[in-house]
Amino acid sequence: MEPDERRRLFEHVAPAVIDAVGRYLARRTDAATADDVLQETLLVCWRRLDEMPAVVLPWAYGIARLCLANAERSRRRQHRLFARILRLDPPTSAAATDGQNDAELAEAMARLRAEDAELLRLWAWEDLAPAEIAAVLGISGNAASIRLHRAKQKLRDEIRKLRHPGGHEELTEGRRP
Amino acid sequence: MTDDDDLRSRLRRTDPAARMTPAAPEHIAQLLEKTMTTATVRPRFDTRLLTMAAAALVLIAAVGGFLITRGTGAPDEPSGPGRPVAAPTVTDLAAPPGANAKCVEPSAAKLKEYADFAFAGTVTGINRGAVTLAVTHVYLGRPVDEVRVAQEGYSSETLLGSGRFEQGLTYLVAASEGGILVCGYSGEASAPGLRELYDEAF
Repeated sequence: MEPDERRRLFEHVAPAVIDAVGRYLARRTDAATADDVLQETLLVCWRRLDEMPAVVLPWAYGIARLCLANAERSRRRQHRLFARILRLDPPTSAAATDGQNDAELAEAMARLRAEDAELLRLWAWEDLAPAEIAAVLGISGNAASIRLHRAKQKLRDEIRKLRHPGGHEELTEGRRP
Repeated sequence: MTDDDDLRSRLRRTDPAARMTPAAPEHIAQLLEKTMTTATVRPRFDTRLLTMAAAALVLIAAVGGFLITRGTGAPDEPSGPGRPVAAPTVTDLAAPPGANAKCVEPSAAKLKEYADFAFAGTVTGINRGAVTLAVTHVYLGRPVDEVRVAQEGYSSETLLGSGRFEQGLTYLVAASEGGILVCGYSGEASAPGLRELYDEAF
């Protein structure tokens, strides 16, 4: 690709990427980390522009995901401690949640495996289809569909358990992998 | 699948970014400028345009012991084909006084590894944030007669010598993907050791 062409292409896609990845990061980390990781993500996108697929956002989320993982790795220990203390909190988002404070849902999400919760966030918050989720996580579309389906079931199960503590066993239980 | 729709809606109501305003145009422009380097080739005058803005990014990435290229992910990061590579942490660039502190001793081997274009040239003009250099020798890359450097938003403190391009002086400049390599890899030709570094590298 010619430098001019590269530049034009990047300028064309960047606003949407900045907006979407900015949100993606705001949902998962604090504002300062989000700023740093957004800059890094853009840098990687710019350098890997030749590999950019037609559907840009899942690809960009995938890059952001790894950049964020890198940024958080150094803080992971501290992070785990937080997770233990604040199990009711959604994933370390510094953004004020003006939306409904759904403690039941937050608790149910907190009880899921991190991978399952992340699948659900990509599905509900980033509004991605299974094929796009697959692109973010670097797994097959088929695997994404199956895991997403299971994650939804697990979330429903957890909500049900919260409503009926010590209640009767649900049919869907006992199928844990 | 209304059941799914209900679940999705319920999750959406807890979206922390729901009220986030779209990124402001000036913020986008600033991010773009920080990210992109331009290497505009103008065949008519056989000119290359380089910027310094992202050069510092390249450098800080480089001195961090990484280069963000295919297959050089963090040690415990999978980096098979098609997998995004994790970027190193790039610190804030808007702090020129601290910039030198991040520089490590330049080496010919690193210069050879990082640079895709290197030349010697004399500044023939500086206007409106653009420096024009007449090329006297190309160490590496496509031969050109003239190079233009965009000065927008770069911190010049990391150029060897006086730290800035000055009319009539001769410079040795190395670049990577359109960004000038600073931090001891570019500067006045008379800077101690710089010419030797270039001779050794190329």
